[in-house]
Amino acid sequence: MNYLKTKLTVGIAAILLSIVIPACGNEANSVQQQSEDGRPIIQFWHAFGGAGSSVEALVEEYNNYQNEVYVNATYQGDYLENQSKIQAAIAARNHPDVTVIEAGAIGAFAKAGALVDLGELVKQEDMSLDDFVPGLLGNSYWDDTLVALPFARSTPLLYMNKNMLEEVGLDISGPTTWDELEEYARKLTIPEERYGFTTATNTWLFEALVFQNGGEILSEDGKKSLFHSDAGVEALQYWMDMIDEGIMKNPPAERGFDVSQQDFVNQNAAMLFASTGSLGSILDSIEGQGFEVITSFLPKKEEFATPSGGSNLVILENTSEERQQAAWEFVKWMTEKEQTIQFSQATGYMPVRQSAIDSEDMQAIYENSPQFKVAVDQLAYARPRPMVPAYHELQVIITIEMQRAILEDGVSAQEALTAAAERGNELLSK
Amino acid sequence: MKLLNYLLKGLNWVLLLTVILIFIFPFFWMITTAFKSFSETMMFPPKWIPDQWLWQNFVDAWQSGPFLHYYINSITVTVSILVLQFLTVIPASYAFARYRFKGDRFLFALIMITLMIPAQLIFLPVYLQMSSWGLIDSLASLIIPFASSAFGIFLIRQAFKQVPNELIEAARLDQASEWKIMWKIMVPYAKPTIITFALFSFITHWNDYFWPLVMTNSELSRTLPVGIARLRDIDSGASWNLVMAGNMLLVVPILVIFFLAQRHIIKAFVYTGVK
Repeated sequence: MNYLKTKLTVGIAAILLSIVIPACGNEANSVQQQSEDGRPIIQFWHAFGGAGSSVEALVEEYNNYQNEVYVNATYQGDYLENQSKIQAAIAARNHPDVTVIEAGAIGAFAKAGALVDLGELVKQEDMSLDDFVPGLLGNSYWDDTLVALPFARSTPLLYMNKNMLEEVGLDISGPTTWDELEEYARKLTIPEERYGFTTATNTWLFEALVFQNGGEILSEDGKKSLFHSDAGVEALQYWMDMIDEGIMKNPPAERGFDVSQQDFVNQNAAMLFASTGSLGSILDSIEGQGFEVITSFLPKKEEFATPSGGSNLVILENTSEERQQAAWEFVKWMTEKEQTIQFSQATGYMPVRQSAIDSEDMQAIYENSPQFKVAVDQLAYARPRPMVPAYHELQVIITIEMQRAILEDGVSAQEALTAAAERGNELLSK
Repeated sequence: MKLLNYLLKGLNWVLLLTVILIFIFPFFWMITTAFKSFSETMMFPPKWIPDQWLWQNFVDAWQSGPFLHYYINSITVTVSILVLQFLTVIPASYAFARYRFKGDRFLFALIMITLMIPAQLIFLPVYLQMSSWGLIDSLASLIIPFASSAFGIFLIRQAFKQVPNELIEAARLDQASEWKIMWKIMVPYAKPTIITFALFSFITHWNDYFWPLVMTNSELSRTLPVGIARLRDIDSGASWNLVMAGNMLLVVPILVIFFLAQRHIIKAFVYTGVK
C-alpha cells in the first residue's frame, strides 16, 4: 500500500518534470530563424561590454537600413569568453554567422578551418581593400587568405601628464627615444611620492619594445621563438633597470593595465603606456583634477613601432551560401567609412579606413582633441601581432617570465626569456 | 576578579568588532562605490564617502540591459534547482545514511568524486548533450545539470546519520512507511542542515556566471550575473560605479534571504560543532 503510494508520487513527479522541462525549453528556445517581420536572422556574437551599446546601435541602424535580413547582435562575455563559446558552439554546430575575434587569435580559428574565405567574396564584386588602413590589415590574413576585416582596433600610446612635464621644465612634445624616455622618467620621479613612468609589464607592450629594437617575436614561419634574441633581452633589461632605479613602477601583473592607469590618473605616475581604447576613460576620469593629458608615439630605439591590438570581424564557416552572402553584406557595411567613423567617435577605437580618417568629421575631432590623432598617425608604424595558434598560450608565458625576471633576485632577463622561448618552441612545434 | 571579567569581555568585544569590520568592509566599499561618480572611483587615496550620492548609477545599470528579465530568469532558475535538489538529494541521502545495499560504498564514492571535477572541465560534453536535445539558450540548460547535488547528499547524509535509531525503530513499530519516516522524522530533525544546504545552493546558483554565460546566447534567457558582467569594458577599463550598482542589485536578495534563514544556519553550525 505504502509502497504503491511512493511509486505513485515518484511517477507523478517524473511526469510533471517531463512536462515542465521541455515546455521551459521551448519557451526560451525561441531563437527563431525568422524575425517578426519575416526576415531571415543573422546571428552576430560580440564581446563589447560598455562599448556594446555602440555596436548594437550600429546593428539597429543596419536593420533599418536594409530589409533583406535581420541581424541579431548579442554580447557573449569578453574576447576570451566569446572565443571559448564559439569553439563549443562550432563543435555543437549551433554557432553564429558573424563574430569578433581578437587579432592574435585569428590564426587559431583560421587554421581550424572555421573562417570563411573573404578574399573570394571581395574578388567576386571587385571590391578594393586599398581604403583599409594597411597597418590594421596585418592580422586579417592566414596563409595569404583574407579571413577577417579590421573592426575595433587599438594600439598602445604614450600618455603624459602635461602639467608635471612643464613643472620640471621638460619639452612637452615628449620623449622620442628610449634614452629620452628614461631621462624624462628620472626627472619626473619624486622618491616616495611619484614615479616618472609606469606601465603593465605585459607581452603586448613587450612586443612594441622588441619591434622598436629591430627584433622579432617569432620566426617568419611561426615555428620558433626569436624574442629572446639580444633585441628582446635589451628591451626587458631596459625596463628592469628603470624599475630597479625606482623611476618606473611595476604594477601587479594580474591587473597591470588597471593599476597603472589608476596611478597615472591619480598623479602618482607622470607617464604611461596604455591602449588608445583607454583614452576616453582616462580623459573622463581626470575631469576636474586640474591637469592635462597629452599623448605621443611610443618612443623608438632603432625605429618607431607599435603592435596593433583589438579585434576583427569574421564570418564563420558552415552556414549556407545565402547566409554567407548576407553575413558578408553586413560585415562589409560595418567596416564602411560612415560606420567606422561613428564607432570610433563613440568608443575611441581607431577608424579602420583611410577615407574615414581623412573625413571632415574625424578631422574636426582631431582638431579638438589632438590626443586621438596621435594614435592614427602612429598606425604608419603598426605591426601585426604574431598569429600562430600557439601564441595565444605563449603570450601568457612571456608575461609570467618577464615578471619573474623583474621580481626575483638572481634571475636575469636572458634567463627568463630563454626559459619562455624554450616553452614557446615546444608549443610552436606542435 | 570582577575587573578581570570586564577586561576579558572588553577584549572579546574588540576581537568581534575587528572580525565584523573585516567582513563588513567589502560591503561598505561596494555600497559607497555604487554611489560614486566615475572619477571618484579612480581616486587614490580613495574617497570613503562620495561627494554626491548618485542614485542615477542604479538607473544606468538597470537600463544597460533587460534587467527585469535577468531577475525573472535568475529566480526561475534558482528556485527550480532548489526544488529539484530537494526531490533528489533527500531520498538519496536517506538511502545512503540508513540502508546497506550492494555497491552502496562504491556509489557513494562515485558521487563524492563528482565534487572534485570543476564545471570548466565538463562543460563541453554537457554543452553538446544539451545542444543535441535542443536546449541551448533555454532556462532548462541552466537547471537540468544541477538537478541533484553531490555536496547536498554528503551534507544531509551526515545529518541523517545522527538521527537516533530508536526514533526510527519506534516509527517502524507504529507501521510508518519509509516515505513517512523520511519526510516526517528525518527531514524535521535535519532541518537546520537542510536549510544551510539550501542557502549554499541558492548562493552558488544565484551567483553563477560561467554556466549561464556558456549555455545561453541571447539576452532574454540570461541571468543577473551575466547581465552585470556586461557593465565591464574590455579596452577602456571598468566603470566600477556601475558595476557595483549592478552588484547591489544582485546581492540584496541574498542578504534578505540570509537574514530570514539566519536562525537556522546558526543552529546547524551549533549542531555540527557540539557533537
